Amino acid sequence: MGYWLIEMSPDKPQWLELRRLLISAGSIAIFILIWHILAWWDHQEPDVVVIAYPGEVFVTLINSFVEADYRTYLMHVDIVASLKRLLLGFLLAIGIALPMGLLMGYSYIAMAASKPIVEVLRPIPPLAWLPVFLMLFGNALGPIMIVFVGIFFPVLLAVIFGVRSVPPELIDAARTLGATRLGVFRRVIFPSTVPYLMNGVYIGLGVGWMCIVAAEMLGVEGGGLGSRLWASYETGNYDSMYASIIMLGILGVLTTELARILSSRVRDWMGME
Amino acid sequence: MDGHGVRIELRDLRKVFLHNGRELVAVDRLSFTVDPKEFVCILGPSGCGKTTLLRLIAGLESPTSGTILLGGEEITRAGPNRGMVFQEFALFPWRTVRKNVEFGLELKKILPEEKRELSNKYIELVGLRGFEDAHPRELSGGMKQRVGIARALANDPQVLLMDEPFGSLDAQTRNLMQMELLRIRESAKKTVIFVTHSVDESVYLADRIIVMTARPGSVRESIDVPIARPRERTSSEFIDIRARVLELLQEEFEKTRALEKTDLEQHHPKRKVL
Repeated sequence: MGYWLIEMSPDKPQWLELRRLLISAGSIAIFILIWHILAWWDHQEPDVVVIAYPGEVFVTLINSFVEADYRTYLMHVDIVASLKRLLLGFLLAIGIALPMGLLMGYSYIAMAASKPIVEVLRPIPPLAWLPVFLMLFGNALGPIMIVFVGIFFPVLLAVIFGVRSVPPELIDAARTLGATRLGVFRRVIFPSTVPYLMNGVYIGLGVGWMCIVAAEMLGVEGGGLGSRLWASYETGNYDSMYASIIMLGILGVLTTELARILSSRVRDWMGME
Repeated sequence: MDGHGVRIELRDLRKVFLHNGRELVAVDRLSFTVDPKEFVCILGPSGCGKTTLLRLIAGLESPTSGTILLGGEEITRAGPNRGMVFQEFALFPWRTVRKNVEFGLELKKILPEEKRELSNKYIELVGLRGFEDAHPRELSGGMKQRVGIARALANDPQVLLMDEPFGSLDAQTRNLMQMELLRIRESAKKTVIFVTHSVDESVYLADRIIVMTARPGSVRESIDVPIARPRERTSSEFIDIRARVLELLQEEFEKTRALEKTDLEQHHPKRKVL
């Protein structure tokens, strides 16, 4: 998921690497060209123009960092607002899903008690909670809670799976070395779950990113890329609308990439294969 | 070193597992005694309950009936006075060699300097100096098992339980590790119970070999190995004992085959088993 954009293969000869980059650059150029042709075609009927020219969109995107009208924020203000919601929802999700997943994976009673509730809540699309959360938590906290719901379940399932995947001989080894039940939990089950947790984080971030944009589009205060996108649409400012979409794509790639690097660093640091 | 063997007494052990709704008697009427500092190898046909026996002594399983006495006290749960070495090494992959060896010491709440001193001592003993900061994935099979042995010994257990510890190593590494184990045991005098498939390995290592019967496992015969160490695999006394053990094992192997045949016929009455 996006990793091919950054991954380099050190053992390949340089000209192959160069060729790969040229092909990628070429395909981006063709994509923009097709976009441009579509926009041109759309502009032949000047009453209802839906597709903006790529060049204008890029200019708008660059300008959005330096100029804003009375209705909008500067682009980086919106970016920070969205990332802040994502981060808070994310931390909240891990803070609850990690201990809960450890407990559910380890304890038969905890699993039996929570499974039916989790199974019923899990398939509900996170955005279905938006009205409830806006009423319960208000405009500031509501969208964060949506992100929380989106990230919570992937992380929870990953942690439960991680606990279930602990090799039983490691638990045996710890017990023969004198570990109590608590010691086994703390020194064997928890650390061997960490790589699975990171995997959950990786998946959860993608889901969270989708949630935050949709939640912001449905009307929250204090900026954000989603509300920028929606405001541009409502005011017919299509250049700005497309610019927001492109910014979302860029940030989406960056956040998942960050999660991927973090997750592989953690695995490396822990000596896992 | 501070090793202190201890006497182990197994009295009339029985262990029943539930397997696919059927009761499977793994060991039955199993009794024997291991003297302090004795090196005993357990041999038997596969499925005879060798590993179960070891897990019972380790306290990882509890017997259905019968008792295990360690220095006169009954075993009820796993504890650091019995160290175990596993066939698949069972090293903690996120811990370095040193941190693996220190696992048991961390649980003992000793001073950091003392912990370091002990881990140094056992890493040195198993010949892994210079690899303290390596992770298990960077080590070969033989080196991994050296870590496994050092980790068990660092706890200074009274008994060392070894479950086919060299079973997944290639033949050459295996021979080397057998020599190494005897050398290590010279300095860390422990009671050792060593489960193996290999007759050769048992005659090379053991003071005494216990041959187990086909399932349910009990003692078929106990054979002393009064050969001075280092042992020559080609000496006549070595070959004599080897032949004797092989013969016993062959008989039990035949019984196991017969047992499996009746098992199969009971479950698939129409299928002929050759």
